[in-house]
Amino acid sequence: MKRHSLLTCLSLVLASSLHADLVLEVQTIELKPKPEDETIQTDFIFHNKGSKPVKVLSIDSACSCLSASLDKAIYQPGEKGVGKADFKISSFIGRHEKSVHIQTDDPAQPEWVIPFIIEVPEVIKIEPKSLQWWIGEDGSAQVTRVTMMGTEPMHIVNLTSTRERVEFSYREIIPGKEYEITVKPTDTKEVMLGALKIETDSKIPKYQRQLSFFSVYRRPAAEPTPEVKP
Amino acid sequence: MKAALHQALLLIVLASAAAITAFWLHPRAPALYLIEEPLQPDEVSLKDITQHWKGKVLWLDARPLDQYTTAHIPGARSLNEQHFEDQLLEMLDILQTNNKPIIIYCGGQKCEASRHVREKLLSRVPIEREKCLVLKGGFPAWQAAQ
Repeated sequence: MKRHSLLTCLSLVLASSLHADLVLEVQTIELKPKPEDETIQTDFIFHNKGSKPVKVLSIDSACSCLSASLDKAIYQPGEKGVGKADFKISSFIGRHEKSVHIQTDDPAQPEWVIPFIIEVPEVIKIEPKSLQWWIGEDGSAQVTRVTMMGTEPMHIVNLTSTRERVEFSYREIIPGKEYEITVKPTDTKEVMLGALKIETDSKIPKYQRQLSFFSVYRRPAAEPTPEVKP
Repeated sequence: MKAALHQALLLIVLASAAAITAFWLHPRAPALYLIEEPLQPDEVSLKDITQHWKGKVLWLDARPLDQYTTAHIPGARSLNEQHFEDQLLEMLDILQTNNKPIIIYCGGQKCEASRHVREKLLSRVPIEREKCLVLKGGFPAWQAAQ
């Protein structure tokens, strides 16, 4: 009986030490789409470096912009796997960190997180992206700078506002490269949230219209009132 | 009989010890502790929304549009990362007249989309930070409470 108990204990300890270990071949998967790309795909390689087979139960992404699939459901110890990832660029600009979460049947690695870094080139830089005035305070003109970051020249062809209580104009600083937009509210008596629609002659449809926001708003209280913040 | 009981007891003790050790050591331990985790400065719980504001808030759904279309909190507007500026443009009128706290939710505890949307929104519109919060637990927390 003693021998039987010992064997049971040993097998239990051994079983608890067995685990799967899905590991990427690279630390992070980097995606670098071109300005005109609508989507970007990539393949990635990983291994089960653990001592136990692992079954993939589900694949989730926190962002609908990123989807992934793996070439099979069960990976044996030491086996190599190939995954595919697809990123929809839509209106993303700049550097974004996203991840895909793989749920497995292994209690030691119930979730395997695959990190992605996506660098979407900034074709049109608008700075600042939002202009702001406070109610009842100085309503003098403010400036937004628009810079065409690509190699090809790009021009502003039209500028419109979603609000009437604002005066605006633009001027070319460097032809096809740099513009200055001047905005001035006609008054600062009431709250106003609006946007300027900047139309360009870009050959890439998604850059043919850009937005820049402006606001006349209530100045925040110096300290939050306790009954507002739960 | 006595030996069998001893053996069963030993098995239970060993299995419990292995489970406790795994939970204690694992870097991504099961989310049991999340239930009791205190609110982050940018978070609000459903209970607080009900108690302090009687549910009178402006809901913003940061999940992908297809998930929003399938189901969302009644009255919620879609404002996600993918279509942020166009959707914000569409809701400027609502934001201009809004006096209610803004609560942003996404797909769950691990989802970061609501935080990303909150930061983008605050960078475009000068809403008070403490009046623009993220729902702890996201849409699943709201569903569970129904």
